[in-house]
Amino acid sequence: MVRFLIKRILTAVLTLTAVSIVAFLMFFALPADPVTGMCPKNCNTERLERVREELGLNDPKPEQYLNYMKGIFVGRDLGSAQGGQCDAPCLGYSYVNSEAVSDTFARVLPVTLSIVIPAAIIWLVLGIGLGMVSALRKGTVLDRLSVGFSLTGASLQLYFVGAVLQLVFVYTLHILPTPGYTSIFEDPLKWAGGLVLAWWSLAFLFSAVYTRLSRAQMLETLSEDFVRTARAKGLAKGKVYGRHALRAAITPMVTIAGLDLGSALGGTVITETTFGIRGLGRTAVDAVRLGDLPTIMATVLISAFFIVLANIVVDLLYAAIDPRIRLG
Amino acid sequence: MRARVVAAAGSAFAVALALGACSKNTGTKTDVDTERKTTGVIATDPKDSLGPAPEVPGAAKGGTFTILRETQISHLDPQRVYSFAGLMAAPLYARYLTTWKDDGKGKLTLVGDLAETPGTNVNKDCKVWEFKIKDGLKFEDGRPITSKEIAYGIARSFNPDLTGGPTYIQEWLADSAQYDTVWDFKANKGSLPPGLTTPDDKTLRFEFKTAHCDLPFAASLPATAPLPPDKDTGVNVDNQPFASGPYKITKVAPGVEVVLERNDQWDAKTDPVRHQYPDKFVWSFGTTPDAQANRMIADNGPDQSAVAFNTVPASLISRVLGDATLKSRSLLSPTPSANRLTINTQRVTDLKVRQALNYAIDRDGLIKALGGEAVASPLTTLLPPATLGFEKYDAYPAGPNGNPDKAKELLGGKEVPLVLAVRDDDLNQRLGTQLKNNLEKAGFKITVKTTPADSYLDDVKNKNNAWDIYLDSWAADWPSGAAVLPVLFDGRGIKPAGNSNTSYVNNDAINAEFDRVLAMDPAAQAPEWAKLDKKIMEEVAPAVPLYVDVSFNLHGSKAGGVFIESIFGNVSFVNAFVKQ
Repeated sequence: MVRFLIKRILTAVLTLTAVSIVAFLMFFALPADPVTGMCPKNCNTERLERVREELGLNDPKPEQYLNYMKGIFVGRDLGSAQGGQCDAPCLGYSYVNSEAVSDTFARVLPVTLSIVIPAAIIWLVLGIGLGMVSALRKGTVLDRLSVGFSLTGASLQLYFVGAVLQLVFVYTLHILPTPGYTSIFEDPLKWAGGLVLAWWSLAFLFSAVYTRLSRAQMLETLSEDFVRTARAKGLAKGKVYGRHALRAAITPMVTIAGLDLGSALGGTVITETTFGIRGLGRTAVDAVRLGDLPTIMATVLISAFFIVLANIVVDLLYAAIDPRIRLG
Repeated sequence: MRARVVAAAGSAFAVALALGACSKNTGTKTDVDTERKTTGVIATDPKDSLGPAPEVPGAAKGGTFTILRETQISHLDPQRVYSFAGLMAAPLYARYLTTWKDDGKGKLTLVGDLAETPGTNVNKDCKVWEFKIKDGLKFEDGRPITSKEIAYGIARSFNPDLTGGPTYIQEWLADSAQYDTVWDFKANKGSLPPGLTTPDDKTLRFEFKTAHCDLPFAASLPATAPLPPDKDTGVNVDNQPFASGPYKITKVAPGVEVVLERNDQWDAKTDPVRHQYPDKFVWSFGTTPDAQANRMIADNGPDQSAVAFNTVPASLISRVLGDATLKSRSLLSPTPSANRLTINTQRVTDLKVRQALNYAIDRDGLIKALGGEAVASPLTTLLPPATLGFEKYDAYPAGPNGNPDKAKELLGGKEVPLVLAVRDDDLNQRLGTQLKNNLEKAGFKITVKTTPADSYLDDVKNKNNAWDIYLDSWAADWPSGAAVLPVLFDGRGIKPAGNSNTSYVNNDAINAEFDRVLAMDPAAQAPEWAKLDKKIMEEVAPAVPLYVDVSFNLHGSKAGGVFIESIFGNVSFVNAFVKQ
């Protein structure tokens, strides 16, 4: 197990290093010139050159890359034009936000986590729960309702569902406050009230896949010999379905859940835009729109980190769920 | 001065679809005050510059006033503020050398803000200006504000790290566009730029090599806000400006919100324009214009004391105008942003052709294509009505839909081919089609060339651009003809690229007129600019004036005291209060 973990972490580090190199090269390949954003209106060649020099953009590319990576681990001095000393993990300076990129992320990351984690809990419980009930009550009204629910979820777009929910619960019934983010440590009720529509919108759409998948997996597992044997031995229904059948059926869902969670943590752009909440997703989109290259690069790295982390967690969960899978 | 880019409404999310679908087009008139024009003076009596500002009828203290905006304010550091949102936010926490008393209906008075008067033209030649600083001014920590901190604020605007702000005063002091090369701020910390002195704590003196009669106007921009040297953290001031105004910034979360709370060191008796009614102002970012409008329409909870800073999106205009309650909660006013069809006089050399274009223009059709009276208001002059001394006239009277027959008559029966350049976005392409159809009825053969929106401005500013006519706009930084006509039509400074004179007019008689008027005392210039506007249109016709942008903002039922100010045409918060 430990050997497996070390191996996976090493692979993750290699993957992230490769991503960082690609992202860094992308930084220089993009048409937007990082200097343009900070050159005054009456910019001339001499002034542009001076800014380039100050930013270290005339240094060899490998040196610039190493400086960037050094900043992440030990911090670095970015110069007066970029706010001076930037503590680790230093991801550069954003001219758009006039602050260190790490400060931006320290602010927006909790927002994205606050949207995604509760939403993921809802979509997993709802999706897998409905799928199981549907499989166990195959052919009944309950099954049809569950299938219909999942089809609806899969067919709709978040910006539509989100808008309708806001129209009903915020603008018409006045039951919920205008969506927004408040820190859970500041006011847990306000935190939940401001995000609940985002959770349910996201969960409604994501859970559809899990309902369909868990239903199909469960039906397949229920027809397996070991389930029949367990039932024949006189094991209680709950034990057979919960301990044996569900455990066997859940493996593919763990894979999808890991990927979904990883990519959602990388940014829920549409959710954030629909509800006017600024997390990682909107930060990334705004950065692209405004040519905020240090923020774009940091977003790429952080998104990659979440995906890689999610994959490691999925691998570990595999082992926990299914003893047939041997790690290492 | 900023050439303003017409931005098409970008995001049309389903909130708008869902709610906008409920609206119906009632065809209601907008009641835009198209006759709103600016009248103003430069205060000479120091009493005009004294506080407190008159109480706003019905105003009450307390509450939180929220301002919703789609994108964040680009800079909060007063020396870097230049965006419309920044210019509207800065008066809450920063004070300047001079400022405008504005009744929201076009009556303006330039008064001293930190200064006792809007400046003394010492030798009456606009080369030496002196400002006496008021007593009783304090920063948020209680330290007194003297001429030294104001001078330091101006000096730090020479710092090349602090990009984004206006550069008038720096260029005038250095007598060069390369002001930061002439005087290196970082190498001379502790001293002041050439020509800027503080003979004592109460006096600030500017000495220019050439006449700059517009200094009292330029001093009304936030770049003249004071800052003690020990509070200068360079680019980081952007996220922690040091307050001299009625509010201090207590929280800055870029892209999310800016929170301002009462500054108890601000003394209303020293301030002729600002109030301190709400306990708190919150600028909240990230809400699309559609969502802002829908929140204002719903008028729930905290949104009752909020204002939507972005204008009402096209999908909701008819709904708002068709509902008396919503209409009563809207601000609708023409702005100083003037749009024109610029004629490249290097290519269209025949005056009669340029005059024919003026006769041919169908302003009514163009405004309909733009979205109607709630978006644009017709303009027949080069100066917008928001300019001091403005006189309404039409050098080529042809009615709201133009006079194609008169245009054809001027063209002598010939078909004149012209190349019209437009940006490649939806709105501008639509305008291009409208103009083509309009002008071709009057005897022109129009070829529409769409060009990438990103490079459009740079392209039209190239002297040798390959186009005959193009859509252009101008929003001046102060309501003087000096900030419009010489900038757009003085041909002596035409360069290969980066021109504001995009008509490429270089007329000796007109240039001489610019020199004559610019040498006059600023107070006497206003009527002269209006006369010159008419002269340029009649004798040169370098453009077809089209329309001014209209601001259309919604606010909640408890948001009071907001109005569209007369300088930049955006919502002002100096009188804002929360109805109790």
